[in-house]
Amino acid sequence: MIALPSIAFGGFSGSAKGVTARQVGGRSVLSVKCWPTGAATGAQLVRRASLKKISKSWKELTSDQMHDWDRLAGTATGQSVFGQAAQLSGMNLYVRLNANRAMAGEPLMANAPLHTVAVPNVEYEQVVVTPELMVIGGIRHQPDPFKLVVKMSSSQSAGISNGWSKTVIITPGTEDDWGEVDVTHLYLKTIGVEPMPGEKVFVEIYWLDTSTGFTGMEAREMVVVTGESPYQRRVKATMDNLDPTEESHVSSLDVDFSTGAPVAQFNAQCLGHSNVASSEVYLDEQLPSEIIGTGMCIGRSNDSDGHINAQSYLVYMYNRSGKSQLTFAHRGGTYYTHTEVFGTGIIY
Amino acid sequence: MFNSISNNFGAGQITFKDYQASNYVVLNAKVEFDPTNAAYQACQQLEITVPDLTIDRSTIGGVFVRFVETQHYSWGDSVYDGGSVLKSWIKDKNTIVVEKQPWFDQNGPLILYFVTMYAQLNQGANTIKGTKQRLTVTTVDNYLRFSSDTFVVVFDHWVFMHLQFSSCTYAYRDSPWEATFEQMPADVIADVPVPGGGNQWHQDCFGMGECHIENKIFTMDRRVAGFWDTGREPFAFAFLVRDGVEEQSE
Repeated sequence: MIALPSIAFGGFSGSAKGVTARQVGGRSVLSVKCWPTGAATGAQLVRRASLKKISKSWKELTSDQMHDWDRLAGTATGQSVFGQAAQLSGMNLYVRLNANRAMAGEPLMANAPLHTVAVPNVEYEQVVVTPELMVIGGIRHQPDPFKLVVKMSSSQSAGISNGWSKTVIITPGTEDDWGEVDVTHLYLKTIGVEPMPGEKVFVEIYWLDTSTGFTGMEAREMVVVTGESPYQRRVKATMDNLDPTEESHVSSLDVDFSTGAPVAQFNAQCLGHSNVASSEVYLDEQLPSEIIGTGMCIGRSNDSDGHINAQSYLVYMYNRSGKSQLTFAHRGGTYYTHTEVFGTGIIY
Repeated sequence: MFNSISNNFGAGQITFKDYQASNYVVLNAKVEFDPTNAAYQACQQLEITVPDLTIDRSTIGGVFVRFVETQHYSWGDSVYDGGSVLKSWIKDKNTIVVEKQPWFDQNGPLILYFVTMYAQLNQGANTIKGTKQRLTVTTVDNYLRFSSDTFVVVFDHWVFMHLQFSSCTYAYRDSPWEATFEQMPADVIADVPVPGGGNQWHQDCFGMGECHIENKIFTMDRRVAGFWDTGREPFAFAFLVRDGVEEQSE
């Protein structure tokens, strides 16, 4: 329902019972109050809570600040309604931009942004959705303060052609990981069920400028879920790959072999063990045979006694019985059990 | 080779020797700065503005930081140089960043050694393995010895070098050292930091010296007093750009 109000509703905005009133172009418009469908996700609950808080905080602004927001709202347009770009009030814009920033973990912005930089459109090569893998690949990186927002639906019947209203925020503001955003864990955590092969998942992606709250044009992709995908995941060793049946001696691990160069990228917090100057890591899968060899990387002590000395480490790599072992073996400098190894390291 | 445009920590112009591929960059430079200067004290991280690099961001590499310290005693001078390794990365096409740590702010001036490779990830291919060549070290009377983990991995435009000192004949312990590194390409010229060695005045970071490599010749004149202390394991870890002298002379 949408109706022009009687004079009694002039200047009225907000919801009462089943009716919502809002101001559009100086006139009040009434519509049936929209209720969310389905259970709210964690991100939605956070967003709704922040909207209420942000709306209340508008009254705490000075009149100059409100004028600045009104001025900025005069140059910005809201979501299109019936083919016409909706006019925004200063308060609308204040709430909208701050809600976007809050979603990305940014604090409340009382002053209207002085300069608005055009937010780029998302450029990417592919979106892959299988029951085990949900990844956006080939993303053209945008530097800070831009963060990527990804919204996805649960898998819908193949016959549905418009499921955009079913999308929910999967990640409210993430950096691409070297051109890739793997949302598999976040999708399963948010949606709760794996997508079904043969069905469709609706995906919306856009950049958010976390400094201003402005967003770019959203890219929409209707993806048919496949059983498997030829998409090749990067070769990495992380805490997610640890073999739970073995004892590993690191508290963090991220070794990445996707450099296409004669080095790997090492990052691990070694803890040492058993009075030997090394830390072992056991992976639940084998590493590709072509990268199995020996690496060498730099390290820096970071124990509770305040040691900060440089060290060097050999990294022995083995494949055995379908699993891999990495051994960070101390070489140069004074050894301390708690050492962070990091940086590019040669592989031979 | 290129010169920096500016920096935010009060150092002068920095000359970088470079090899820049489409997916990684090797940089060599040595720069001294005074940590008491206002620019350094005001900055959150050390940033160097440079002409366009081939890559617009990188993963983390290591940059060494060193201070020089001499204590004067009645029997002579003792060296207590020290330092550590800092994280460094390429932030964008024109900015090299080095993390700021307060550890040595009281020990300035400080020297930064860029013997660093900056790589990128998700490059559509896995790591390419190099070939390790153990360094054959030659000295007069074989006075200086290195462990088996002393090696180079040689590429057309750059070299990775790891040195691990093992022992020295007593008669040469206080002498300037000179050795020939047989497998080191002759076109590598660099000052290379040598972390390790004991340092009784700086037991958090221990020692750090410097050696020089040129025309296959390794030299090292200044070493910390505790260079051969047990368990302090002096070493060098460096990605070094080749000058291409051999190619030019053909």
